[in-house]
Amino acid sequence: MDDKNFNDIDININDYDIVLKIKDENDIAVSRQMAKSFAQKNNFSLADVTKIATAVSELSRNIYRYAKEGYIYIKKKETEPDKDVSIEIIAYDRGPGIENVEQAVAGGYTTSERSLGLGLSGIRRLIDSFYIKSEVGKGTVVMAEKRRRRF
Amino acid sequence: MKTKFTMVVPTIKLYDYLIVPIQIELDDLTIEKLQMQLLNEISEKKIRGIILDVSMVDVIDSYISFVLSETAAMAKAMGCHTVICKIQPQVALTLAQMGIKLKDVFTANSLEGAVDILNRLD
Ligand SMILES: Nc1ncnc2c1ncn2[C@@H]1O[C@H](COP(=O)(O)OP(=O)(O)O)[C@@H](O)[C@H]1O
Ligand SMILES: [Mg+2]
Repeated sequence: MDDKNFNDIDININDYDIVLKIKDENDIAVSRQMAKSFAQKNNFSLADVTKIATAVSELSRNIYRYAKEGYIYIKKKETEPDKDVSIEIIAYDRGPGIENVEQAVAGGYTTSERSLGLGLSGIRRLIDSFYIKSEVGKGTVVMAEKRRRRF
Repeated sequence: MKTKFTMVVPTIKLYDYLIVPIQIELDDLTIEKLQMQLLNEISEKKIRGIILDVSMVDVIDSYISFVLSETAAMAKAMGCHTVICKIQPQVALTLAQMGIKLKDVFTANSLEGAVDILNRLD
């Protein structure tokens, strides 16, 4: 099995609760449903469940559309039992990469014909921490984390 | 009358309005088929107003938003207005936070409200 090593990110697939290969259009819908039920199961608020599912939907679509195939990794992170719970999402592909990452993340920029260019910029606003690494000819990794709010 | 297009969502005709309760997962292929279906129904059934009930839709991402707005723009060109009704609050919140605006559509929080909007437009 090829290693999921991309620059400085080392993804050990055994750490993840969900590993999903994205290669068909239908996988986009599957990924957001899985993200939704995972966030629900971990007691995230309804608003945050929706934000997480929407972010995953955007990431999967980018993989399908721009890289043809790739992976979505999702895991629950907690510092102590029942304390500071968060969900981490990684989207990984070995597609063409993004030439101007800053521009792509700023929003309103798209190389697609029927698209808004508000995926990556939108994800950034929906989640708590966001990291992207992309290299032309190598691929793209996006890491997004959402903390569970306490009531 | 024979329908030459795939019906992905069963619709209800009310006067010259078309009520479209979306109760299925909107994957990319489905939403594109739905767009075709609606445009066909507008022309075949002389529809002057479409009401999309999205109360069962729990994720609307940027592409679904794009296709909904695109469909409404096409409908408008055919003399038909589009109202999106009963959008889930958390879905509306997510769209607003992402900076996504649904263009060319009216919004209502009930079916009655949607009908009122269409009546007022006539
Ligand atoms: N995984 C990816 N691989 C290559 N290019 C990507 C990837 N994700 C995003 N991009 C590039 O960044 C742009 C912005 O992406 P996004 O914000 O999701 O908006 P949209 O998908 O609507 O264009 C895309 O148009 C594409 O050029
Ligand atoms: Mg996108």
